[in-house]
Amino acid sequence: MGVTSAMFGRAALCLLVLGCTLPGPVRAEPTEAERVARWADLRHAIFGDRAVEDAGDRVTIDAPVRAEDAAIVPVAIRVGESFAPEVRGLYLVIDDNPSPLAAHFLLGPIADAREIATRVRIDDYTYLHAVAETADGRLYATARFIKAAGGCSAPASKDQALALQRLGKMKLSLADRSRPDGPRKAKLLISHPNSSGLQMDQATRNYIPADFIQTLDVTYNGQEVFRLESDITISEDPSFEFSFRPSEPAASGVVKAEVLDSNQRRFTQSWPVPAAEQM
Amino acid sequence: MPIPPRFWPGSEVRLEPRTACRVAAHLFFSSIIRWRLGLAIALAAAFGAAGRTDILELPVTEVVSGIFVHNGVHEEASAANEDGIANIGFIIGNDAVAVIDPGGSFAEGRALRAAVRARTDRPIRYVILTHIHPDHILGAAAFRGDHPEFVGHDKLPGALNQRGDYYLRRLRDALGDEANGSEVVLPTRLVADRLELDLGGRRLSVQAYRPAHTDNDLTVYDHETRTFWLGDLLFVDRIPVIDGSLIGWLDQLNELTAIPAERAIPGHGPVSVPWPAGAAPERRYLEAVVHDTRKAIKSGIGIANAYRQVANSERGNWLLFDEYHPRNVTAAYKELEWE
Repeated sequence: MGVTSAMFGRAALCLLVLGCTLPGPVRAEPTEAERVARWADLRHAIFGDRAVEDAGDRVTIDAPVRAEDAAIVPVAIRVGESFAPEVRGLYLVIDDNPSPLAAHFLLGPIADAREIATRVRIDDYTYLHAVAETADGRLYATARFIKAAGGCSAPASKDQALALQRLGKMKLSLADRSRPDGPRKAKLLISHPNSSGLQMDQATRNYIPADFIQTLDVTYNGQEVFRLESDITISEDPSFEFSFRPSEPAASGVVKAEVLDSNQRRFTQSWPVPAAEQM
Repeated sequence: MPIPPRFWPGSEVRLEPRTACRVAAHLFFSSIIRWRLGLAIALAAAFGAAGRTDILELPVTEVVSGIFVHNGVHEEASAANEDGIANIGFIIGNDAVAVIDPGGSFAEGRALRAAVRARTDRPIRYVILTHIHPDHILGAAAFRGDHPEFVGHDKLPGALNQRGDYYLRRLRDALGDEANGSEVVLPTRLVADRLELDLGGRRLSVQAYRPAHTDNDLTVYDHETRTFWLGDLLFVDRIPVIDGSLIGWLDQLNELTAIPAERAIPGHGPVSVPWPAGAAPERRYLEAVVHDTRKAIKSGIGIANAYRQVANSERGNWLLFDEYHPRNVTAAYKELEWE
């Protein structure tokens, strides 16, 4: 698991080899064969020679067929109920993005792998791949095609003053539980530009430097829910939806989130979770 | 992202030093005839509209004495409409002219300039940029030769730094060669709060706002005729675009509608509407978006599907509803989920 930074490096290197999708003259639409070849290359860059099996109905991706805003495309990775306990990691790959490996979730002991969702930038019509990794190191992949374009270079937010003032602030919403012993479903919002490095400064004609969340650690009562390793593909003001199963379901507790960004800024926030009977 | 809707656009053709160098290199290596041709092109490029005689005048309506407005079409930007989709125009005083929004492309700006010149020889002293959106300001370069003050919100330069290039690319995508000459022109005079301009016997108040339609909205008030030029703080008929702060916009609408005026000029819609009655449909739409988006967030409907549940009753009231409403709801959702 510790080699994932190297994996991001390898994925980036592979870009140079494949010819990446920096903004520029419009490319010809790739053929299906080229798309298949690209995934083969990416798979090799990220997972080396390891076998990647077809996930079948073990893993699915939920995303709109056509995105309303390519800079904020909601994507959920769903894992089948019987398979979920085996899953220890989830990868989200956006084949034709400048930086294809969008996110790697390393799931902790109390994570519920059945659904994890975020919002991403999508640069061009592309396949998305989700790959689940089991505790014993098997890999299962699923794919979905999505129509969206321009998300990586699309300009950032509307209210710049607010964005600066709110930098690093987080918000956690917990859904009501259907059963007191069921998993807790949560949505975490992080105020951060998550700049892609592909947005241009008109005055200097330079690209605005990338400034993005590198890692996010979420714990509940000190137990790891997940660690995310990610980069520029996650949308501005990143959003994560996830679930966890507290070891003492009815007791109160504390959710803690810790962010480290590419400028080595660290943001930490905690939220108390009341005991079940008080809810 | 922005959201910036699909009609906002761009071109890379700009008269930069680099272009000048290329022209110079070309001249050096070409024959006399080509040299002359090159010179003519270089001069035409350098002086823009000034030297041309075949420029069509943009049709404008005199909504009240000395105030002329071109009625933008309710379409997406295209080569056929030269991105002329916004209401733009000018105000003539005894001494000078103020242009309010130079148009969506160099071609439209040039035609607007021709419309000014068909009516007066007074100098164009001010070009007011009501906000960043390309359909309003990418024609600014057509007025460079007049050496006006380009007046903008003090947040406009920052916003242009972020988005200008993107808008030019989008204009180029939508218009092709019709986008030629369009540029991002930075404001030379910034308004943080209020600026009074005197056109000679005609006083204009330029007012800056907190984030609403965008984070760099300006309005212009003509005291002579009590005419309130609202730019895109006021949409009529065409669906409003939320690109600043939805809550901020509704707040400012309270302040704006308290300002007495004989008429208002919307950024999109008829060239003139009664005030404050003309703001009622926009307020109704924005309030419906706030109400229903909050409800969607509360009931756990995700950002992808929220628009299906939001402000559906408004569909029949607006042009281009399906083109812009889903994006508006995405923007509203992103703003309101922090409440």
